[in-house]
Amino acid sequence: MPQIITEQNLRNLIDLLVKEAKLVVGPKLSGSVVLYEPLTAGSDLTLDALPRRSSKELFFPICEDILSYKRENGAMKVNDVDRSKFPEAVLIGAPPCDAGSPAILDAVMSWDYKDEFYLERRRKSTIVGIACTKGDDACFCRAVGLAPDAEAGSDLFLTPLKDGSYACNAVTEKGQALVAAHQNLFSEGAGAEPKPFVDQAVAKLNLVKIKKWLEEHFEDPLWEKIADICVGCGACAFICPACHCFDINDEGSTDDGVRRKHWDACGFAKFTNHASGHNPRDVQNKRYRNRIMHKFKYYDDKFGKTLCTGCGRCIRACPVGIDIAEILETINSKQD
Amino acid sequence: MNAKANKNQVTCIEPDYYQAITEAIRKEAVKILKDETVVGVVGYLPGRRKGTASPALVTTVEEAEKLIFSPACVNNLSVYLTKAKKGVLKQGKVGIVAKGCDMRALAGLMTESQLQREDLFIIGVVCPGVYGFGVERTGTLTEANIARKCRECTVHMPEGADVAAGTHAELADLTPEEAQEMARIEAMPQAERWAFWKEHFSRCIRCMACRQVCPFCYCEQCLCDKNRPQAVESSPRPAGNMAWHLVRAMHLAGRCGGCAECERVCPMDIPLNLLNRRMAQELKELYDFEAGLTPVDKGPLNEYKENDDQSFIK
Repeated sequence: MPQIITEQNLRNLIDLLVKEAKLVVGPKLSGSVVLYEPLTAGSDLTLDALPRRSSKELFFPICEDILSYKRENGAMKVNDVDRSKFPEAVLIGAPPCDAGSPAILDAVMSWDYKDEFYLERRRKSTIVGIACTKGDDACFCRAVGLAPDAEAGSDLFLTPLKDGSYACNAVTEKGQALVAAHQNLFSEGAGAEPKPFVDQAVAKLNLVKIKKWLEEHFEDPLWEKIADICVGCGACAFICPACHCFDINDEGSTDDGVRRKHWDACGFAKFTNHASGHNPRDVQNKRYRNRIMHKFKYYDDKFGKTLCTGCGRCIRACPVGIDIAEILETINSKQD
Repeated sequence: MNAKANKNQVTCIEPDYYQAITEAIRKEAVKILKDETVVGVVGYLPGRRKGTASPALVTTVEEAEKLIFSPACVNNLSVYLTKAKKGVLKQGKVGIVAKGCDMRALAGLMTESQLQREDLFIIGVVCPGVYGFGVERTGTLTEANIARKCRECTVHMPEGADVAAGTHAELADLTPEEAQEMARIEAMPQAERWAFWKEHFSRCIRCMACRQVCPFCYCEQCLCDKNRPQAVESSPRPAGNMAWHLVRAMHLAGRCGGCAECERVCPMDIPLNLLNRRMAQELKELYDFEAGLTPVDKGPLNEYKENDDQSFIK
């Protein structure tokens, strides 16, 4: 028998978690845009629109200090960030295209180098995903193997029901613990019918075939064709739930400063600029090729996963209308 | 022709209007490619999603026959003629589809010796307006889906084009939302205004989309990309964000043609064109100068005159 939570109790749950001094993050209206932001009350939660940026920033912030340094009495003192102070967090209201991203990124973040900033936040977080009943013509999660009701990445998964309540499935122990600790907000029952999902315009893609084509077409006129109009900004990468490149900068003076890690994007002209001045990706088509290769070939080679959840954010945000789903469809339909 | 005298104000612009422009653009683009007047044409092609369009650099007659103009043709294509895109099109004369607001950028780029008029074949569009962000893309332009900048457009007629596509039409009784917002911000006490911008800039993620789409951000080395030494903090934090946006606004003063592309592409909805307009207002008041109306030898901030206003020196 599934657990049911009413919308009011979902908001009450947020109130309780905030009272428990947890960092509760969910979609919230900020100015004119919906973003994943700390919720101060259940009433902050906005489930009407896909947030403009993905929820990856809960684990991989736009910018974070990784150490600070100060010269004192002639000696340089380096202070590490105390990661044990990272708060216990609950991400609530993330659709599968966002909730699913940590399940993809954990692999690279815990690979040869363990990114303790990311991993510590992951250990301390519980993800409450929600099945997506919205969607528009940029959405293509089904095409890349996810679905509006995919539970991957979620600890607790909510399915919106027609009567406004949610069916809850505790996917992991973390999810079970969250329900157990607030059992009075949940009730057992069959619940109403689930709300229907929105049809998607992009048919399921053959990712194996696409990868094979990429393997054989490192050089291809397609890359020039796309990159000719790409203006080389980082909008697509920054709002992407799966892009995870970052840069590290020392900011401050030589005697007193902070080392910061912040988002970077392969579209930027200087992304791979070497200290020597040589840049192996010296033109935009090589940079755009890397975006596609990384998502649909390299990451799969290394970790057996596709680095795209089909959220469609890059399609909506691209200043020049570059449509990754269209590119994938083009590759998918090639005969060779 | 005086656009104001021939005002043809309507309540909505039907798809037929844009279709007629589309036909005219195709005809012209095919002609200039066929007779080798140009090596390529910068225009728009339809996107996969209904009611969308993308910039395109077409070099064949077949492609030129697919060019479109619709309310989704929001981009200022002149960015494709700047240094950022050098090498994309072959050397030679280039055709470009330009709305009135894009023409201002072309004029500004000519003023700054980035472009030569004789290297361009300009297919001007008599543009009634384009879509705003996140609106219904029905094919018909109405007060509900027109872009904010288009509400106050003074350049429906593309002056100085080689040919013009379309007949003049514009939507009636549009509220000047941007001017109203300018007035609201201007009336704020300084602290409140500072807080307004601080709040907006705090959302900036430094994706640099505003810089990359700007026809006037053609510096080959942007101050904000320098890190040895760092001139502006490149990390997306309040101090660096504020510095970046002030640098951007100041550097565009007297140059920005008001296409508002920076604001359109901002994924965080930062109203950047308000800053551009405020700078333009300063230039108008101090030097009686409006950027990009026609190419000039030098913009006011590029030359010194003894009778220049000195009142800013305190």
